[in-house]
Amino acid sequence: MNTRTRSFTPWYQRKRTRDIALVACFLLPSLAIFFLYRILPLLWNLVLSFEYWSPLKPAKFAGLDQYREIFLEDDVFWQSLTNSLAFVAAAPFAIALALGIALLVNSDLKGASVYRAIVFISYPLMSVAVGIIWKWLYDERGGIINYALRSAGLVTKPIPFLQSFDYALPSVIVAEVWQVIGFYMIILLTGLQSVPPHLYEAASVDGVPRWAQFWRITLPLLRSSLFLCAVIGILNSFTSFDLIYVMTGGGPGHATELLVTHIYKTGFGQTRFDYAAALTVVQFILLLALTWLANRAAGGNAGAHDTGRA
Amino acid sequence: MATLELRRLEKSYGSTAVVRGVDLSVADNEFVVLVGPSGCGKSTILRMIAGLEEISSGEIRIDDLVVNERAPKDRDIAMVFQDYALYPHMTVADNMAFSLTYRGVARPEIARRLAEAAKVLDIDQLLHRYPRQLSGGQRQRVAMGRAIVRDPKLFLFDEPLSNLDAKLRVAMRTEIKRLRERVRTTTIYVTHDQVEAMTLADRIVILNGGLIEQIGTPEDVYERPATAFVASFIGAPPMNLLPCRVTANGGAAVVSVAGNQVPLPASSSLDLQRATSVGIRPEHFSWAAESALAQIESRAGVVELLGSDTLVAFTLGGHDVQARLPPRHVRKSGDIVRLTIAPENIHLFDAESRRIDI
Repeated sequence: MNTRTRSFTPWYQRKRTRDIALVACFLLPSLAIFFLYRILPLLWNLVLSFEYWSPLKPAKFAGLDQYREIFLEDDVFWQSLTNSLAFVAAAPFAIALALGIALLVNSDLKGASVYRAIVFISYPLMSVAVGIIWKWLYDERGGIINYALRSAGLVTKPIPFLQSFDYALPSVIVAEVWQVIGFYMIILLTGLQSVPPHLYEAASVDGVPRWAQFWRITLPLLRSSLFLCAVIGILNSFTSFDLIYVMTGGGPGHATELLVTHIYKTGFGQTRFDYAAALTVVQFILLLALTWLANRAAGGNAGAHDTGRA
Repeated sequence: MATLELRRLEKSYGSTAVVRGVDLSVADNEFVVLVGPSGCGKSTILRMIAGLEEISSGEIRIDDLVVNERAPKDRDIAMVFQDYALYPHMTVADNMAFSLTYRGVARPEIARRLAEAAKVLDIDQLLHRYPRQLSGGQRQRVAMGRAIVRDPKLFLFDEPLSNLDAKLRVAMRTEIKRLRERVRTTTIYVTHDQVEAMTLADRIVILNGGLIEQIGTPEDVYERPATAFVASFIGAPPMNLLPCRVTANGGAAVVSVAGNQVPLPASSSLDLQRATSVGIRPEHFSWAAESALAQIESRAGVVELLGSDTLVAFTLGGHDVQARLPPRHVRKSGDIVRLTIAPENIHLFDAESRRIDI
């Protein structure tokens, strides 16, 4: 009966067809933009990385030449990779710090919501603004950090934070951590608040000490939030271009060079778009691998809150 | 195994008093149910006993020791929560053993207790599952298992069955009753369900507005409700409460309800004239075979046939009344209702809605 009525309806009049058309209509604009600005450049970038190419000359196949140069001859690549990984390595400390703050503002501390707002406020700030603020803070002559250090008698002459090979990278990392910590805190706070309070009550009635409640209840239930932070931290570290660009421009020397700034400089500074494309592919694969690892460690669904309620 | 004593226990949040002076003594091994409508303070009392809520004033004694200032863990109690409060990331076995490892219980002893509790609760096959893989009833058992392995002085149950569906709730009620025969520990059980209270309790504490209305055995509170509130709270359908007047009619007292006269037992005193309302349970109406014998006559409103008996609603002087009658006497709305009441089944309450003994 059903099939018979169906066979009389032409395909373009069927409900299924209309549904698909409707869904397509809604998806198409964003898919088009996504394809045009993400997928297409990515593919073209991949092609470009296997070519010799400059705006004025026809392209020539280069095979793996660009990649050979990256791994065997480019010292700046290795330096910027190390710096990028140093940024990544700072993420766990930032997350631990954010967890501490989240635990504090989640307690019945007086004015917790005010602290929460203060800590979070750094995140929506533009990175450029953050970069400028910290540049002033670090300033050798007028910066408040040097002023405070000298007033406290901790140093005799000002520290050139952003001009020194030793201090530049840690200084930039501190600024980066400062900016992102509010965001970590909010994610972790949401995680903390989704833990049913009865679990802690049950544990304290049963005599589970506070530290064990933290290690055995809070941390396991925060797992997905923690890994979401880690994934965002990794992505952030690799792409904090604006902060570096404003604060140090990658210098002094290449002391604060990240892969992104290196890519930018080779591409737009030296107009070596082909080589920059190859660098981008390397960074892309690195990011993909790191994110995949983090997501796997999170049990495959970073960011999904598991409170165990079925 | 312990006694519990509450003395002038009070709790207020700011200027709002939630518990307003509660006195209660619970004997060793006794099963006491705190029951009352929501907001009556029953859960707050339980949480104060557990130490999860601070006491505004008064005293809590466990085994004659004041525990007001003791941390929950030092009170040697185990609590079962309404939403079970199982640790979602731990297996059933870990959930049950978790706290024991921090209480210095040796491993073989933990294993022994776990096996024993699992057997009692019939959850042996579930020990390696996670809470999300269990049904509501199974989670409930695990939550009880976690309390049992603790072997505490005192069990506290906070509405443990209210998250279950009706059928399962009845089954678990029986289960708890059976469990009670095997594990004898002093227990405080909070519920808003009077049926649960009646079926489980050694003694029932009926709370209303932060005060105790009555403490008594299930029979006591059903047969001799101390206040009109208890009378209407215990029993389903609830007791009918109607305004009345008691007059002495040549030696024997008579209650008049909306023009109908119902005699009271011969021995009744003149004190009964204080009564302002009369209470009659739906199940205490009897069918009057002929019109001449009827003490109350009316026409049926809504008639609910339950099979074993029939619930008949009718009005008496503008008040809704329900009667539970044997089947077949009243079949549909509009049928005539002729009823009698045995004098011993009449409850009288004064203007303060307190019971007047007949």
